Amino acid sequence: MLKMQRRTFLKASAATAVMSAVPLYFGFNDYKQVASEAPVKKIPTTCNGCASMCGLFAHIKNDRLWKIEGHPIHIKSRGRLCARGHGMAADLYGKGRVTGPMKRTGEETFEPISWDQAFKEIGEKLQGIINTHGGNSVMWLEHGVRGKFYADQFLDVIGSSNYVTHYSTCFSSKTNAWHHMAGGSLNGDHENSKYMIFEGRNFAGAIIPHGMNQITKAKENGAKIVVIDPRYSEIAKIADEWIPIRPGTDLAFRLGLAHVLITEKLYDKAFVDKYVEGFDEFWRVNKKYTPEWAAEISGIPVEKIREIARDLAKHAPQAFIEPGWHGLHCHYINSTQTAQMGVIVNALLGNFYKRGGLMPNANAPLGSLQIPDQFHPEKGPRIDGAGVEGEFLTVEPGRGIAHRVPDAIEAGKLKALFVYHFNPVRNAPDPEYQKKMKDAELVISINVDWNETSVYAADYILPEDYYLERTEAPTNVNGHISHDHPQVSIRQKVVNRLFDTKPLLDIMRGISNEMGYYLYDYTVEDQIAAAVEPLGITPERLKQAGTIEFPATVKPVFPENKGKPALGTYTGKIEFSIDLFRLDGKMGVPTWIPPMVMPNPDNKEEFRLIHGKCPWHSHHVTSNNPELMAITEKYDGTSMWINTKRANELGIINGDTVFVESDIAKKKVKVRVTEFIHPEAVWIPSAYGGFSKKLETAYNVGVNYNDFIPSMVEPYSGTTMSQEVVVTVRKESN
Amino acid sequence: MARYGLLIDATKCTGCSACSIACSQHNQLELEVNYNRLEFVEKGTYPNVKMEIVPLQCMHCDNPPCALVCPTQATYKREDGIVLVDANKCIGCKYCMTACPYDARQLNHSRVPEKCRWCPEILSKGEQPPCSSTCMNEVRLLGDLEDPNSELSKKLATTSTYQLIPEKGTKPRIYYVKK
Repeated sequence: MLKMQRRTFLKASAATAVMSAVPLYFGFNDYKQVASEAPVKKIPTTCNGCASMCGLFAHIKNDRLWKIEGHPIHIKSRGRLCARGHGMAADLYGKGRVTGPMKRTGEETFEPISWDQAFKEIGEKLQGIINTHGGNSVMWLEHGVRGKFYADQFLDVIGSSNYVTHYSTCFSSKTNAWHHMAGGSLNGDHENSKYMIFEGRNFAGAIIPHGMNQITKAKENGAKIVVIDPRYSEIAKIADEWIPIRPGTDLAFRLGLAHVLITEKLYDKAFVDKYVEGFDEFWRVNKKYTPEWAAEISGIPVEKIREIARDLAKHAPQAFIEPGWHGLHCHYINSTQTAQMGVIVNALLGNFYKRGGLMPNANAPLGSLQIPDQFHPEKGPRIDGAGVEGEFLTVEPGRGIAHRVPDAIEAGKLKALFVYHFNPVRNAPDPEYQKKMKDAELVISINVDWNETSVYAADYILPEDYYLERTEAPTNVNGHISHDHPQVSIRQKVVNRLFDTKPLLDIMRGISNEMGYYLYDYTVEDQIAAAVEPLGITPERLKQAGTIEFPATVKPVFPENKGKPALGTYTGKIEFSIDLFRLDGKMGVPTWIPPMVMPNPDNKEEFRLIHGKCPWHSHHVTSNNPELMAITEKYDGTSMWINTKRANELGIINGDTVFVESDIAKKKVKVRVTEFIHPEAVWIPSAYGGFSKKLETAYNVGVNYNDFIPSMVEPYSGTTMSQEVVVTVRKESN
Repeated sequence: MARYGLLIDATKCTGCSACSIACSQHNQLELEVNYNRLEFVEKGTYPNVKMEIVPLQCMHCDNPPCALVCPTQATYKREDGIVLVDANKCIGCKYCMTACPYDARQLNHSRVPEKCRWCPEILSKGEQPPCSSTCMNEVRLLGDLEDPNSELSKKLATTSTYQLIPEKGTKPRIYYVKK
C-alpha cells in the first residue's frame, strides 16, 4: 500500500467511491482511472502572480484547485503563463495565509477575533480619530488600483485626500514624464518592430508571456534586439547584442543618441515639426552633450552609440526604445530625466502611433456603478505632499509617495492607516524606518498572508479572500503591450473560501456600517452588471468566457482633432518641456544630472548595488511558495552577482559569503562570480530577504535591496532612487 | 501507432522555469521531484559573453539503458516510444538512476525513481503537455515522428538538430535545434 501523496487532489473519503489512496506514481492506466473518477471543471479567471493579471483557466477537481493554464484569448497570456503564476495559484493551499481576522496582542503576536468584533472596534477607533483629528488624518495605502473604487468612496465621505499607491517604489518617474509629455504611456508594438532596444527592461524577467512571445517571434522575423543593462539579464540571452552600461548613466547615453540623431539629421523632421513642442528648447540646452561625452560617462564606446542611433533611424518608425517600467524609473536622482529622454528619442524617430513603433492600448468603454451622492466634507491637502505647492509639487498626486509614511505619522498628520494588498515594510526602502508605521494610532492591514507589514505594523489584520476565492469587477486588459482589439476580462471565484476571510467590499461595508456611513449598499454582481452594460454583453457571458475581445478601436494614426494634434497635453503635441516642472522652479526639458552617488574607482571594495527581477518571483510576494523557492535553490537564485575581475582583486571566489555594507545595513550574502555583470556594480534579485517568521519558506532566505537603502525621495517624481547606493563588499573573515 | 518525439529550441529559452512548475502542478509531483531541469552555461569574458541554456529531462530513448538494467521490468517502453515506470513493480534499487546518462531521474518519497512520462493522455489527443503549452517562447514541441504531416515532423525536416551524448547509443528521442 503506497502512502498518500503529499498533494493529492482527490478527497480520500468514504463518500467518494474512488481508490482510498492515489498511487504515488501515475502510470498511464492509473492516470486515466483517476482522471475519469472526478470530472474536471475549467473556470476562467485572472492571475495574481504579478500586476499584469493574465487570463487563465483554473482546473478544479472535487472543489480543489488542480492546476492552472493560460487563457487562449487573453492578450497577455494567450494560453501561456510564467512560473510565478503557477506558483501563486498553488499558494492557495500555502502555509502563510492568515486564516481569520487578527488583533495584535504584543510584539509579533496576535489573537484571532470575530469579524463583528473587528468591525466594531475598528469602526469605533476610526470614528474617534476622525472626530478628533479630522478625516484627512486617514490614509489608504495600496499596491495600486485594485482597491481604489472602494477606497475612494470611503475617503470621500470622511474627507481624506490620501489615496497612496506603491508606484513611488516602482515606476513613478516614467508615468510622470509620459503623462506630462505625451498625455499618457504608449507601449512598444513588439510584433511588428524591426529594431528594439531594451534598456533596463528585462522582459524575460518581469514577464508578460504573450509579450515575450511576440518579441521572440519578431526576432525570428528578422528584428534586431539590443539589450542595454549593467547585467546580462534574461532577455539578453535572446538578444543580438548585450551592451553593458555604467549604472546611473542611461540619461547620458540617451542624450548622446539624441545628439547623433539631430546632428546627423537622422531624425524624422516632418514628424517633429508637426507633432513636437519644445524641440528648440531641448536642443539649445543639450547641444553640448555629444556622443563622445556620452561615451565617457556611460562607458559605451562612442562608435557603438553612433551605430545604435543610426540603426534606430534606419529602421524608424519600426524601431523604438522600450518605454520600460521599474528599471531606470525608480532608480536614480536622474530617473525622471531618463524617462523624459525615452519620450524624446522615440519622438525623434517619429514612431508614435506607428506600426512597429509605439502604439496605445485599446480600451473598451466599461461602465461603472453609479454611487448615490453622499455628503462630502472638504478635504485637506495630501499629507504625503504629492502635488502640494511648497512640498512635492511635481509628484503625481494620483500616485503619491508610498515610502515616507512614517514621516507623516511623526509629524502628527497621519493617525489611521489602511494598508491593502501591499507590503511596504518589506518592499519599501529601509525596513527599520518602515516599521515605524506601527506608531500610527490605528493600522489596518488587509492582506492575504502574514507579510512583514502585518506582523510588524498592523493593529488589526483583516484577511481578504485569496484571488482564486473572490470575484471582482471586470477590467480592460491593458499595460505594457500594444493591441488594437479591446479586451475585457474578469476575475472570479473558482473555489470556495478555505478560511474565515472576506472580499474587500464586505470588509469595507463592515467597517463603514459600524461608523454609520452605509456606503456599500451594492454587491460585486451589481458592479459587474454596470461594467458590462455599455458593451452589450451579459455578466454570464463574460463569466463563462473569462476574457472577451471586441472589434478593433486602435489605428496607427496620431490623434488629431480638426487637423490639429490632440494628445492629452496642453498643446496636443508631444511636449519636450514640462510646464509643471518650470512652475516649480525646475528645468522643463531633461538635461544631464549626474547620479547622486558613485563608487570610488580607487577603492577596490566599493560597488553600486543594483537589483532586478528573477523570472520566477514577483519581488517578495511569491517567495513563500515552496515550489518557486525550490527553483531558487536549484539555480542558486539568491546569490549576489559580482564581476569576475573585481572579485579576483578582492580574493573572492564563486560561492563565497561576503559582507555587504551600506550606510544603513551590513548583511552576509553568498556571491556568484560571473563575467555577466558590469565591474562597477553588484546585483541582487529583488525577491528575497523575508523577515516574517510566519512565512516559513521565505524567512531569512537571501537579502533584499531595500535593506541597504535609506528612504529617499527623487525630487521630480518622488521615487525611491533605489540604486543610489554604494556598498562595500568584504570577504568574510573568520 | 504514433511514435512520439520532442524538439527543443534552446536558443529561445530564457530560463524562466515555467515548464518545470507547470509539469509539477499537472502531475502533482512532490516538492523534491522535477521532471525537467535547466543547465546554464556561461561563455566568454566580459563584455563579450553569451549564456547558453540546456533543458534536460528523460529522453524516452529508443534504446533505454534504464529499462535494460531494471531487474523487475518496472521500467518499460511502450509501443509509442514512451518510457514509463510501473511503481508497483519498482523495488527502489536505483539501478536505472545509475544507468541513465542524462541524470533524468529523481527519487520520490516512496523511493521510486521518477521521471518525465510525456503525458500520453495529452499527446494522444494531439495537444501539447503543460511544459510545452505554457512556454512563452515556444521552446518545446512534442509530436508524432511517424506522421509526416505532424508539426513536429515538418519542423524537423527543415531544422538542423543535434542530440545529447549520442555516443552512448541510447538513441534519445529529443532533438535540439542547432544554434
